[in-house]
Amino acid sequence: MKLKFLLASGAIALGLSSSGLRSAETVKVGVLHSLSGTMAISETSLRDILLFTFDEINARGGVLGRKIEPVVVDGASNWPLFAEKAKQLLEQDKVAVTFGCWTSVSRKSVLPVYERNNGLLFYPVQYEGEEESQNVAYTAEAVNQQATPAVDYYLKEGKKKFYLLGSDYVYPQTTNLVLLEYLLSKGVPLANIGGGFRRDGAGKIISAGKYTPFGHTDYQQIVAEIKQFAASGDACVISTLNGDTNVPFFKEYAASGLTAETCPVVSFSISEDEFRGLPADKLVGQLGCWTYFQSLNTPANKKFVADFQAWLKKSSVPGLVKEGRVTCSPMVLSYVGVYLWKAAVEKAGSFEVDKVRAAWKSGLTFDGPGGKVTTQKNMHLTKNVYIGETRADGQFKIVSSFDHVYGEPWLKGKFK
Amino acid sequence: MKAFLLLPCLLALLFATPGRAAATENPRALIARAATEAQPAQARQLLAAAVGRADESVAPLLDAWRRDALFLHAQADGGRVAVLLTGEKDERGAQSALRAADGQPLQDEAGRPVRLVAADLPAAEHDASLRRTMKAILDLAELAAVDPTRRARSVRNLGLAQDAEKLPVLLARESVESAPEVRRALREAIALLRLKDPREEIRVAALQELQAVSSLATSDLLARVVQEEAAAGNRLALEAARRAQQAVEWHRTKVDFAGTLFRGLSLGSILLVAALGLAITFGLMRVINMAHGELIAVGAYTTYLTQAVFGTGMTLPCFGLSVPIPGLQFSGAAREAYFIAALPASFLAAATVGLLLERGIIRFLYRRPLESLLATWGVSLVLQQAFRLIFGANNVQVSSPSYLSGNWLVGDVILGWNRVFVIGFALLIVLGMGLVLTRTSLGLLIRASMQNRTMAACLGVRTERVNALTFALGSGLAGLAGAFLSQIGNVGPSLGQGYIIDSFMVVVVGGVGSLGGTILSAFGIGGIDQVLQQYLPLVAPGLAWVPGIGGFLQNLAQDAAVFGKILVLAGIILFLQWRPAGLFAPRSRSLDE
Repeated sequence: MKLKFLLASGAIALGLSSSGLRSAETVKVGVLHSLSGTMAISETSLRDILLFTFDEINARGGVLGRKIEPVVVDGASNWPLFAEKAKQLLEQDKVAVTFGCWTSVSRKSVLPVYERNNGLLFYPVQYEGEEESQNVAYTAEAVNQQATPAVDYYLKEGKKKFYLLGSDYVYPQTTNLVLLEYLLSKGVPLANIGGGFRRDGAGKIISAGKYTPFGHTDYQQIVAEIKQFAASGDACVISTLNGDTNVPFFKEYAASGLTAETCPVVSFSISEDEFRGLPADKLVGQLGCWTYFQSLNTPANKKFVADFQAWLKKSSVPGLVKEGRVTCSPMVLSYVGVYLWKAAVEKAGSFEVDKVRAAWKSGLTFDGPGGKVTTQKNMHLTKNVYIGETRADGQFKIVSSFDHVYGEPWLKGKFK
Repeated sequence: MKAFLLLPCLLALLFATPGRAAATENPRALIARAATEAQPAQARQLLAAAVGRADESVAPLLDAWRRDALFLHAQADGGRVAVLLTGEKDERGAQSALRAADGQPLQDEAGRPVRLVAADLPAAEHDASLRRTMKAILDLAELAAVDPTRRARSVRNLGLAQDAEKLPVLLARESVESAPEVRRALREAIALLRLKDPREEIRVAALQELQAVSSLATSDLLARVVQEEAAAGNRLALEAARRAQQAVEWHRTKVDFAGTLFRGLSLGSILLVAALGLAITFGLMRVINMAHGELIAVGAYTTYLTQAVFGTGMTLPCFGLSVPIPGLQFSGAAREAYFIAALPASFLAAATVGLLLERGIIRFLYRRPLESLLATWGVSLVLQQAFRLIFGANNVQVSSPSYLSGNWLVGDVILGWNRVFVIGFALLIVLGMGLVLTRTSLGLLIRASMQNRTMAACLGVRTERVNALTFALGSGLAGLAGAFLSQIGNVGPSLGQGYIIDSFMVVVVGGVGSLGGTILSAFGIGGIDQVLQQYLPLVAPGLAWVPGIGGFLQNLAQDAAVFGKILVLAGIILFLQWRPAGLFAPRSRSLDE
């Protein structure tokens, strides 16, 4: 009996010491994405690319000689749950850094947790700006790295009328307000901006554009309105429609006889990954604007795509989808984020958040698949912006690019 | 006849300036040379030389260029030649190459035809400016197009561009044009170009012409003309411009009204198609069928499978195994016919699922409607997860066949073929259902069993079988709805969730058990929804006077798509307070009702 007890406690002690040993050799890193619920379609890809990046870094010796140990938690497309999971990552698992969130509302819900615990969150998906937390590294596209370059492109193409359309939540609303100011500053008259305006009591515009709820299916009336708007030529649509509402919209759009030639649509929420569920033949010639496209013809990108595909083949992560995978901007910004964090840690010589942040602010660079990126003092990134035309195979043909665009989160009231 | 000769002469005169040497070359060869040109400026000049001289035959060439299907082949002498690839691919993927310059097969030194692989060749580059020039070439080439719709479109584009130099071209076309559609477009375009004339009386005449044509496309231009003429103080022209503007706005009002009617009809028929199955399983059989939405999804996924079978087949990530589905490798019209085959297939698939559901679960619950609600809700969750496991969590792509993806433009009102098709088919199904229920012996048995199962059984009706058949019929109709909905919306695991509420709403408002009520309520709800969407934004600015909530109302109406739906729901709640049994309450003598 006694012997058994001794043996058992010895085994436990051994187990403990070995796990203690392991945690000295590894560094815990949080992955906070929705792996179930409505956002899982998009966010699971980010988990996959993060696990791929960790494997790649670990195979080359890890960070500061320590292997990355991912702690993957599921936000389940449930915003309050995101905050709880973030708390668990920071307080129980004591992760050095977290890569996560897709929707702005999930980011807003975890923000207080990271600020209270002085954690560090890397956020990779295009967003509306008007935020600059010291506890978030925004690898994401700011509005001036996606929306305003798209407008510049349209203006160069000779477009004169702009129709604003979006899903009804914070990102489209804020982006369209910034775009309204930008268009007015470029001399586009209010009458040439479609979609309608909402005004406050004093008559000041508080919201611009047409909005539909998530899951909206009936776009007949809106498309008829766009058709009339575009009847006099030189018109285009700027769409911040999210997720699968794009399918009924583009089907209706094509059926009404509107095409990319007569009235192109630039969509800020459709990347290669979203294309897997969209009718690509209906979207040929329509535009996308991101800081990365899979079709980028650079050696760095080709290697990245090939390495990811090879990893997918041999990986044994449960539930991993292996067929028909593509790479897209949020995935690449996640990938770039991990390498920038590694660079910051190595420059700081420490995993401490304050030192890592200081290293980030000193201006690190990384040659990613989308070109060179540079960290900024305002926690954002300078990066290249590309405009692409949709092809029938769901990839983009790059038609224009803007080099080294400074990420500027504060744009409201900036364009006069 | 004379005018036929005049047109090419005029065109040649007008556009002969750039590149004297180029002017003698045929337009096809010019385009081919522009494609091989490495310098963008040179390419632009070469291409510009072809503007106005090319005919329709260059359209496929330019189209290939824009689609990145015009390839550059490096020749032995170091030069490059633009080629088009045609014909069947052989085992290494090579196709026969045609010289873009003359459409003849490309031959090597030995005179053998060259075969090339598309993937190995660089596509000819093009930028926005080249594409604009291509468009200009096509616009003028299209003036001679055989299809009047295309001629009309190119005329309109020329008019909106307001390039006064092109007036002679349009006048030349007008003298030979016979199609009424194109003549109307020509009148509009010529009037638009004449607006640039310095003489006021010509402009006034042009404005009167525009007033008579009243085309929506001219509305922006007219607004600008009103401003310009007002600024210049030309009283007569201003007056004419105002009248033309009013005529266009009146035309717009009519178009909006007719469009709203059509869209209401179309939304109504979609609601009807989606709700018809439920009108049977819930309306007649009183099973609170929460799995109705998933039966719709079964139909949509069956359409997806049929599409794959008619095409190149696919691999399903079914339960983690990769299950290959062989394809029939059809192409062209045979492939597009998949949708016709998908209609009976989706009906049968959903009917089979419905039959299994009825035999397995629902038949034990006929006397316990509330438990049928829970059980079918459970089934709906199981089915959703099954879709995820079989087809993956992502939405799948169902492409619309070409005969469902065009539209008719009747006096500026868009009538999408898919919508017209749904309206027609909804009416057909309803008619068929009505006939089955009232004119056949099966219909008689169904009605008898649904009214009073015990009594029908006593009279010798095999109610078990009738129940199963009726439920299968209702489920099959849901499957048909799925096939249609795949043409206008998403196909994904949660497809059904989007339609279940609407379906119940339609059936309940119409009066549970009444087919006529379901039809009326579907079209009523669809029509009111579209009317609110169209006219709320017009009414909204007038709501600012409401004390306290004026500003709120004014802004809310901007979200007409959402606010309209809220108003419809609120209206339904009030309506059901007034008539709890819906539009048509079927009378019954049974005691428990």
